[in-house]
Amino acid sequence: MPDSSRRNFLIAGLAAPVAASAARSSADDQKHDTPPKAPILTPEFRYRTLGKTGLKVTSVGFGCMITSDASVIERAADIGITYFDTARVYQSGNNERMVGAALKGKRQNLTLSSKSGAKTKEAALADLDTSLRELGTDHLDIWYLHAKTKPADVTDDLIDAQQTAKQAGKIRFADVSTHSGQTELIPALTANPHIDVILTAYNFSMGQTLDPAIAAAHAAGKGIVAMKVMAGGFRNTKPGDKLYNTFKKDGALVAALRWVLKSSGVDTTIPSMTDMDQLEDNLKAMTGGFTKSDEGLLARQLEYIAPLYCRMCGQCDGSCAKGLPVADLLRYLTYADGYGQFSLGRERFQELPAEVAQVRCDTCSTCTVNCPHGVRVSERLSRAQELFA
Amino acid sequence: MKALLAGLAAAALCVAQVPRCDLAPGWSRQGAARAYEASNLFEYMDGNAEGYLLYGFVAMHGVTCVKDGDSILIDISEFADADSAYGMFSANRDPRLPGERLGAGGQITPRRVIFTKDRFYAELAANPEKDHTAALRAFSAAIERLLPGSTAVPAALAWFPAEGQKSVRLIPESVLGLRLLKRGYVAEYEFGKAFVVQESSAEAAAAVMDKLRERFGHQGDPLQFTDRYLGRLCFVHKGPYIVGYANVVEGHDPLELASALAARLP
Repeated sequence: MPDSSRRNFLIAGLAAPVAASAARSSADDQKHDTPPKAPILTPEFRYRTLGKTGLKVTSVGFGCMITSDASVIERAADIGITYFDTARVYQSGNNERMVGAALKGKRQNLTLSSKSGAKTKEAALADLDTSLRELGTDHLDIWYLHAKTKPADVTDDLIDAQQTAKQAGKIRFADVSTHSGQTELIPALTANPHIDVILTAYNFSMGQTLDPAIAAAHAAGKGIVAMKVMAGGFRNTKPGDKLYNTFKKDGALVAALRWVLKSSGVDTTIPSMTDMDQLEDNLKAMTGGFTKSDEGLLARQLEYIAPLYCRMCGQCDGSCAKGLPVADLLRYLTYADGYGQFSLGRERFQELPAEVAQVRCDTCSTCTVNCPHGVRVSERLSRAQELFA
Repeated sequence: MKALLAGLAAAALCVAQVPRCDLAPGWSRQGAARAYEASNLFEYMDGNAEGYLLYGFVAMHGVTCVKDGDSILIDISEFADADSAYGMFSANRDPRLPGERLGAGGQITPRRVIFTKDRFYAELAANPEKDHTAALRAFSAAIERLLPGSTAVPAALAWFPAEGQKSVRLIPESVLGLRLLKRGYVAEYEFGKAFVVQESSAEAAAAVMDKLRERFGHQGDPLQFTDRYLGRLCFVHKGPYIVGYANVVEGHDPLELASALAARLP
């Protein structure tokens, strides 16, 4: 079994013996939906239509992945957020159960998505049935094939699973999520008539790398949902780090969300939220535009990470005159320099073909690799060769 | 940056024990051993890595073992401390299923084992679809012996009454969905939700109580009121702890419950 299928496999192992205690008749639930409680806040909601699906969603949705208290989800729905996202794999299935409980009685007013990372039609459809049971609904509006990185991952078998689920009324739209490889994958999904919505990692650290692909997909009528909008790095900023205080300032994290929202190709976003404060911050992002202050804040973060860390955007692929796999080498160096895993970095380096491992950057008078994000490639590669060769 | 790198390097010295396939007779390794840290965990579990990072993930070592057409994936993750590893376990176990006496806590199903010991969290997953319990038990028992450290459960678990308890979890940030309550344990009961948050000192806890009063617009110590989403709730301050119950159903007294819980704390 390929490693990447492991998480869903883990879930399958746990789901099988679970009694149907959590199962509810979603049809019954929906007949007896109680009216939503009156909103506590009255933010100016911005709605966008999710491609050709016709689904109208708030420009800021709710990524439930790391939410641990159902009250935050419940409140978001009451306030007026209309799109909620989870996945079969999150918290080994506990997340779907919590989301289902939080949204009970509100389902008919919301757009709900989940995901399956299964590799076969049979396993994917089994995942879908489990998701529906745990979420307490009879259908998903959006069902993603989870975490695909290349066109070949979106197999005919999985597309067939989605079409089967559509015909059975278990999903409304067939969709794909991706965290990497988007420059190749998104155009392929754009050309695929069976795919309705694309969920992609998209944030300020990527610059304009993905903009052409996203714009083309949007123009073709695909719904575009952005995730990882906070660029992840914020979560890893700890006390003592240079930017800790800057990023912990009230509302500062919202700059990253505003950056995404200014893209006309993005229909909605699903930032992760763990508390009420974050929810309210994100609502502010929905109504406020991207400012000079936001721009400065994000520029400082980029400046901080740019010289050292490769963002794996793939733009340097094939640009080394000596044929070095630049992104891989930079990653190996990060193992050693960033995380003290020298042996791991060296092990990976030594797995390179001999003709590649023997290359020395200091023999080139000029470097043909120009990182668009400012990584000092030649300097970093020389260090990798010095350390590992 | 130097401080960050030094910290990370120090943390990486405490790498998880590497699992082996020869821990159970007849099994052999398929492919290379796996090793991941926080920076590249997404390469292994794209779309789910954040759930690990949230609990202070440090490193993961794994192997895939095969025997007679069956395969078992074994991954051992190291977290910053035993509480965090237990937190990861508590977030991923199914509270509807029974636990297993394995390390500080475990759960076994026909195709899956998860357990925690000290600062380690182990996951084993078997393929294809059938009952792999015997092999999973053999591997997990051997791995449990291999992992260093204590099998003690976090002290906080003993604070919560066992009777009627449906689950108990470490919440790594924003307990009850409130940023003021940074990190703590939450136990679910039919009649409500108990919580314990530990601050750095009694003064710090008192300051958080002040902020809770300000946020909710209610006074008192204990702080008791009804919230739209947290239902009938009560916060009690005891030394460095903020203790209480939320979503308490009618017929139970939040103050009485919170006071009884506080009395169980040191």
